Amino acid sequence: MGIRYLKKYAALEDIVTVEDAETLFGWLKQQAKPAVNLSKCVHVHAAVLQVLLLVKPQVHGHAADPWLAQALGCAPGQASD
Amino acid sequence: MNRVLVIDDAATVRMYHRKILGDAGWQTDEAINGLEALEKLNNQPPETPFDLYVVDINMPKMDGYTFVRELRRHPSAMQAPVMMVSTEAQSQDTSVAFDAGANCYLVKPAKPQELVLTAALLLGDAAVALKAAEGVRA
Amino acid sequence: MNQTELLDQFILEARDCLEQIGQRLLEVEKSPTDAELLNDLFRLVHTLKGNCGLFEFKPLERVVHAGEDLLDRVRNGTLGYSNDMADALLDAMDFTAQMIDEIEQTGAISSAAEGRSQALATALRAHLAGPAPTAVATQSAPADAPVTATAAATTAATTTAPAATPHVTPAPAWMDRIPTTLLERFPDAVVWRYRPEPECFFKGEDPWLLSRQVPALKHLDVGTQGAWPPVEEADCYQCNLDLVGLSDAPIAYVSDHFRCVPEQVEVIALSALRPAPPVAAPAPVPVATTTPAAVATTVAPTLSVAPGGGQAAANLRKRALQMWDDQIALLSRSGIAPGTVAAVRLSLQGLLRATADDSAALHLTTLLALPANASAAAVGQWAAQHRPTGEAHGDASNATDHPDGLDVHADHPASDGSGLPPGTPPDAARRSSGDDGGHQKVLKVGQEKIDRLMDLIGEMVVAKNALPYLAQRAETHFQQRELAREIKAQYAVINRIAEDMQHAIMQVRMLPVGTVFQRFGRLVRDISRKLGKEVELVVEGEDTEADKNVIESLADPLIHIIRNSLDHGIELPEARRKAGKPAHGTIRVAARQESDRVVIEIDDDGAGVDPNRIRRKAIERGLIPEDKAATLTDTEAVQLIFLPGFSTADTISDLSGRGVGMDVVRTAVERINGHVELSSQFGKGTRLRLSLPLSMAVTNVMIIEAGGRRFGVPMDLIVETVRVHADDIHHFKQAQTTVLRGRIVPLRALHGLLALDDTPHLNEEGEHAVLVVRFGSENVGLLVDQFHGATDIILKPLEGVLAGLTGFAGTALMGDGSVLMVLNPKELV
Repeated sequence: MGIRYLKKYAALEDIVTVEDAETLFGWLKQQAKPAVNLSKCVHVHAAVLQVLLLVKPQVHGHAADPWLAQALGCAPGQASD
Repeated sequence: MNRVLVIDDAATVRMYHRKILGDAGWQTDEAINGLEALEKLNNQPPETPFDLYVVDINMPKMDGYTFVRELRRHPSAMQAPVMMVSTEAQSQDTSVAFDAGANCYLVKPAKPQELVLTAALLLGDAAVALKAAEGVRA
Repeated sequence: MNQTELLDQFILEARDCLEQIGQRLLEVEKSPTDAELLNDLFRLVHTLKGNCGLFEFKPLERVVHAGEDLLDRVRNGTLGYSNDMADALLDAMDFTAQMIDEIEQTGAISSAAEGRSQALATALRAHLAGPAPTAVATQSAPADAPVTATAAATTAATTTAPAATPHVTPAPAWMDRIPTTLLERFPDAVVWRYRPEPECFFKGEDPWLLSRQVPALKHLDVGTQGAWPPVEEADCYQCNLDLVGLSDAPIAYVSDHFRCVPEQVEVIALSALRPAPPVAAPAPVPVATTTPAAVATTVAPTLSVAPGGGQAAANLRKRALQMWDDQIALLSRSGIAPGTVAAVRLSLQGLLRATADDSAALHLTTLLALPANASAAAVGQWAAQHRPTGEAHGDASNATDHPDGLDVHADHPASDGSGLPPGTPPDAARRSSGDDGGHQKVLKVGQEKIDRLMDLIGEMVVAKNALPYLAQRAETHFQQRELAREIKAQYAVINRIAEDMQHAIMQVRMLPVGTVFQRFGRLVRDISRKLGKEVELVVEGEDTEADKNVIESLADPLIHIIRNSLDHGIELPEARRKAGKPAHGTIRVAARQESDRVVIEIDDDGAGVDPNRIRRKAIERGLIPEDKAATLTDTEAVQLIFLPGFSTADTISDLSGRGVGMDVVRTAVERINGHVELSSQFGKGTRLRLSLPLSMAVTNVMIIEAGGRRFGVPMDLIVETVRVHADDIHHFKQAQTTVLRGRIVPLRALHGLLALDDTPHLNEEGEHAVLVVRFGSENVGLLVDQFHGATDIILKPLEGVLAGLTGFAGTALMGDGSVLMVLNPKELV
């Protein structure tokens, strides 16, 4: 549940709530190559979505939530950024 | 002292609006539909009896739009701003409201601060307006 | 005025609405295409919903809202009414009534209601998918629109008349964000745009979640309201999202989904963007529901957070600016009335005064200097030139924001052309004012206020009675004859007034029996359907009036009698046919006034009561000995049904309740000084006749004394007062009797009945004071100590813990302030 901060990426899992947005934002800003893994992510709060839209990290793995994938432009069939 | 006429067929809504406006410091009166409101107007002395009308749309005998249209045919000296109040489902009718001659449009249930702010702006009550503006979103 | 008063008012009005809604629902079932009825029903539900919204009773609102949407479609002719729909609506109203009760008790709704609320709302909305009625209800575009039609109908009527097209909204620019393939694939879908306010996260909102959960979501596009600031400066907690979506669900569902943030959402039905096909009846398609971003608020288009201080002033400015622009737009509409121009000027004045800065004061002077008959164009020009300048970052965005948010200004030529020509309304208004002949003023008063008046008048009646006594004292004791005379004279005046007041208040308390009868319709409908029987209810004399207390006490017995009729009386359709009766049974409830009584008859053409069966049951239950049973005539046997503990149903049906027999009905009726009689013809039907006092207000009682205490006995129970010599009393085992006018009268000492520690006194002549009272067909003599006079009292039934004391009919307040206990002799014996 929430975010696991690994060496190369942040794994967003299950449900990521509004409180996590700030931390994630801070963490991503510090990365040279910001990246997230959304394969186990069921839902993110809108603030978290904003963070992802702002930073535009690389997305590892298949985003589990199709709407999120589409919003981030990494759904299958979408032109990647 | 500013006087506001609340026109709505639901007694609870009338009470609610009058309470909010009364707390803001204005005198209020009420009518249960457009017809009664017009009668009230016509039976009052010729100077503008009311400084603001808060008008519901859906009422029996005479609805809000008709009332406003009728009102607007009265002599200029008797005119006053009209705040049309309606439920979301009728929000497409803003243009009808303005066509009829309403000056603004509010969705009910109106948050008290919104109601007071809008009314204060139309009535020109700076103090009340500023206070009410604290509670509303930009 | 405080919150409680407002809540009380809400409860009062809600109940009133529910009552009328209930009636209409039943009526609608009989005539499902009656436009006036449907509109009336819709308006009632609409009012109810509006009121619920004021208090944020969400579970309640949800259900009522669903009902409203349903009824809106029905009255528009796009959805057919059905029995199942009626059931769902009735269920919903029942739930609502329960919630109102709960609110009255606790001031709120418990969380337990949430589940049921959801279920009911879903059940109601399921009907939205139903078929339109086969015959298109010809939308008689009534010219006298104001009567019951809503504004929507008015617009439809006038705008779809002659050549004009219905209110077509041009497609907003943001629809580009939805792929055309989807628009084609779902032509009846709904498109929406949600721009949450920047601070929404702090309100606990999650716009992304809300968007994802829109019913039947087919497409969701995420954009931004303003450009993203650089990452180093951005605040992730300021919402900048601009969401557009497509949902293949009815517009009502989608609007409902966004009901908490209506001013931030635009919802448009794709069908409304197409010109309507030429159709005989103007198809009342849900016109584009552009959200009322109009005046209430606008979504802040920029991300920059406003400086901390002066936020209120900034909000004020912003709002004032929006309204200013609205006024300018108003002035540019065609066909503007001079009155509107005047009102706009006043509004502009108000706006200037409210913003209260230096430039505003200047502008005000010039505004006031405009000629009195300045044209709309002139005022509009002035307004455009003197537009108050807002804060720097607010201004530019306002200009660009309007085209979307304020549909009012955008693209008006089209809709203006089809707008109402100023000529139409007067006819409509005149017609409606013509219809309204006697403008009767009706006051709605809460019952407690009436009761209070009753009490006060009651006290007054009693208090005034002290005056003659005073007059007497003045004369005899104080030797003041003149004074005595004057007191008597004044007493006469007060007496007359008091009696008039009493009459008047009793009139107010009189209610038509119809108030009780009206719930029978629903009862008969529901139960007959459940049992598979066809029953018609005929009601007569609903206007017959009786005292409020009587009416209220009648409800339960009558309901029980009707249930009995439905359960045991009326047979199943096949059984009836076999018996040569029409398949549907009839229950008739009739009320009328007979001198000082109200007579209510309930009869059915059902199976009647089988005297033999009754006899058998009575014997089985040991209620009467067998030999006695045999000697009873059929008519008498049927009366056994009133014996306590009698229930002939072999299976206790849950509809009639467990073991509640006719004896309970009889007791309840008699408790309010009424009588009930039953007559029946086996195979043909049953009739129950209730006779009730017209008014319970004033009772004439005789005051008697026993064991040093005084009691009242209702005069209409008293046969006579008589003195019986101790020698004339026959003792037989425990019983005492005497002979009065050739008949044996059993005697009971009141002292024993009331457990007073005393025995009946004898007077100097060795006589007992005997009060002969009537019990049904028998007389019983009560031994008391003394008779005192008769007097009028206001009988108050016992309440609360004392209500269980059946031996007492109630209490009355006496002139000297003491409380008189009034007996119910039948219960004592």
